[in-house]
Amino acid sequence: MYFAGVDIGSTMTKVVLMDVDGTILSTIKGPTGPEHRQLANEVMRMALEQAKVPLKEVAYIVATGYGRLNVPFADRQITELTCHATGVYSLFPNARIAIDIGGQDAKCMKINNGKLVDFVMNDKCAAGTGRFLEVIAATLGIKLEDLGALSLKSTKRVSISNVCTIFAQQEIAARLSEGEKAEDIIAGMHDALASRVVTLARRFKIEPDVVLTGGVAKNSGMVNAMRENLGCEILVPPDPLITGAMGAAILARENYNKAISQGEPVATKSRRLDKATFFSQ
Amino acid sequence: MTNQKSKIFQGLSRAHEIYSNREQRVRELKATGKKIIGYPCAYVPLEMLTALDLVPYRIYGSIKEPITEADRALPTSFCPFIRSCLDRALKGKDDFLDGLVTAHSCDPQHRTAHIWESCVKYSYTHFIDMPGTVRADSLEYFRGQLGDFKKTLEAFTGKKMSVDKLKTAVKSHNRQRALVRELYELTKPIPPLVSGTEILQVIKAVMSLPVTEGNELLTQVISEVKNRQNGPAEKPARLLIWSSTLDDTDIMQIFESGANVVMDDSCGGFRPFRAKVKLTDGPIDGLADYYLKEITCARTFRQATLGETTKNYARDLQSRFGYFKGIVKDWKINGAILLLVRYCDPFAFEMPALKDYLNSIGVPSTYIEYDYTIGALAPLRTRVEAFLETIS
Repeated sequence: MYFAGVDIGSTMTKVVLMDVDGTILSTIKGPTGPEHRQLANEVMRMALEQAKVPLKEVAYIVATGYGRLNVPFADRQITELTCHATGVYSLFPNARIAIDIGGQDAKCMKINNGKLVDFVMNDKCAAGTGRFLEVIAATLGIKLEDLGALSLKSTKRVSISNVCTIFAQQEIAARLSEGEKAEDIIAGMHDALASRVVTLARRFKIEPDVVLTGGVAKNSGMVNAMRENLGCEILVPPDPLITGAMGAAILARENYNKAISQGEPVATKSRRLDKATFFSQ
Repeated sequence: MTNQKSKIFQGLSRAHEIYSNREQRVRELKATGKKIIGYPCAYVPLEMLTALDLVPYRIYGSIKEPITEADRALPTSFCPFIRSCLDRALKGKDDFLDGLVTAHSCDPQHRTAHIWESCVKYSYTHFIDMPGTVRADSLEYFRGQLGDFKKTLEAFTGKKMSVDKLKTAVKSHNRQRALVRELYELTKPIPPLVSGTEILQVIKAVMSLPVTEGNELLTQVISEVKNRQNGPAEKPARLLIWSSTLDDTDIMQIFESGANVVMDDSCGGFRPFRAKVKLTDGPIDGLADYYLKEITCARTFRQATLGETTKNYARDLQSRFGYFKGIVKDWKINGAILLLVRYCDPFAFEMPALKDYLNSIGVPSTYIEYDYTIGALAPLRTRVEAFLETIS
């Protein structure tokens, strides 16, 4: 018996396949792209192939992320806030605060006794999200995955006054032409993004353990900037992209067990990995 | 013809019909010679309009209509509700209105009122100034303001607003408030007999009709709901929605996809109906008292005791929000959504204290900001769902 979590984020789609003990059998990550409705079934198929598990042995599937309504083969949709909190707690049993910086949003989650109890989100302004770093990296002609290492070479931080991603881009171009180094600008950008996310996180009393997830957590420079701005230690999981899908898989198992114990029928309709269609006729 | 129509469409289905097409009845009334007076705020004393046989018509914006004209008159970082109201007026919507009455409930309404009056031609306009507090001298000032309102209405209609006419109007509008309270009683059971979406449609419909027709509709709805077999399904969460304006069922349906909305404190809902006007001999003093003190809008500054040199926060919270305690208990509310409209300072500043009060009485809450457009709905949905996941 297996359980799956499908996390369709704005930038990346993640699938985690898990067995009854919570062991992860396969993980798939791929860019979401504009047609995520067509993608969910493909990544699910890949996850099953990788683990050599037939679809019919998957007992329950939870979909999460902003595209969660477009996973027709899922049994349930749960928001990414609950799923991230669950995933983080499973990796860090003392986690009290989870911060996820994704492609187009940033979320702070308060965890108590392993459950999500409060949350705050920024999805109004790109300057507080991964998108900010993407735009800046493109402006500097640098690959996203190289930002972290490069920023560690910085000897002085160049601060950019504009809070808007687009206008910050203009300001950076000006700074570059004045002779400022790319690594110093990147260090300044990391600090700016970190301070915005920390402002959001400070709605809660910051208590350890604080865990950082999301694609941005793979950037060592960003993790340092977050530590500095938050003023405390920050833990990062080995694979910061999959905590949402992990949490979804764990919740899939929980929901399945709950349904069984309450004598409720679990949807073992003959599941098909259908593509989502827009219109339900 | 109208009678036949109301036989086919009664109660909830009539409310839905009117909600979807608010202008139809007032246009019919206008064709018979009635004058229609628009107002965008719950602070306008409708009794004074009814007393002179004018038809009050509640003006709303529209979250579905892109704002294209208001930008030439108003700044963009500004109450989107009032911007939408002005936008529609500039486009000639609601052109059946003979008059416009605004109130100094908040700055956007105050400032927009004068622009509105100069950009759109009405036969009658009046701006009611309102104090920000509820002290005795404020009430005296407000009584004077209502006296001025009476004068301009009498000049416009050429009729005298006699004490008897006004008292009759007070009774009709109080009857409406009693009927709305009776309707909200029907959300007390588990599950509620009527949904938040249906109530929103009924209230919006009632605010598009003369008071006696609104009372008739409410009576039909109450009777239908009491006898219905097909009410809303039971959901684990029973919610209170607190907001300034909540006037579109698309928003309400986001809340009700995972919960039963059993109570609200919003201008498109219960707020204008919770209390009743004390029928005094004046009776304008009773009206002034009611409208300034009893409308629980964040624009009004209420303090526990004048002249205290040290403040007791808990007592202050109790005096501002204590009315929620009984409501939470009687309606078995287990969660609250504080719905803010972007740029609305009064409600944004009120929200933290309200959250503290709700925490103190054990009601979990979350605040959600929307920008009064339809584009805002997907992130709203995620926040509402996540909140419901935390309380289930």
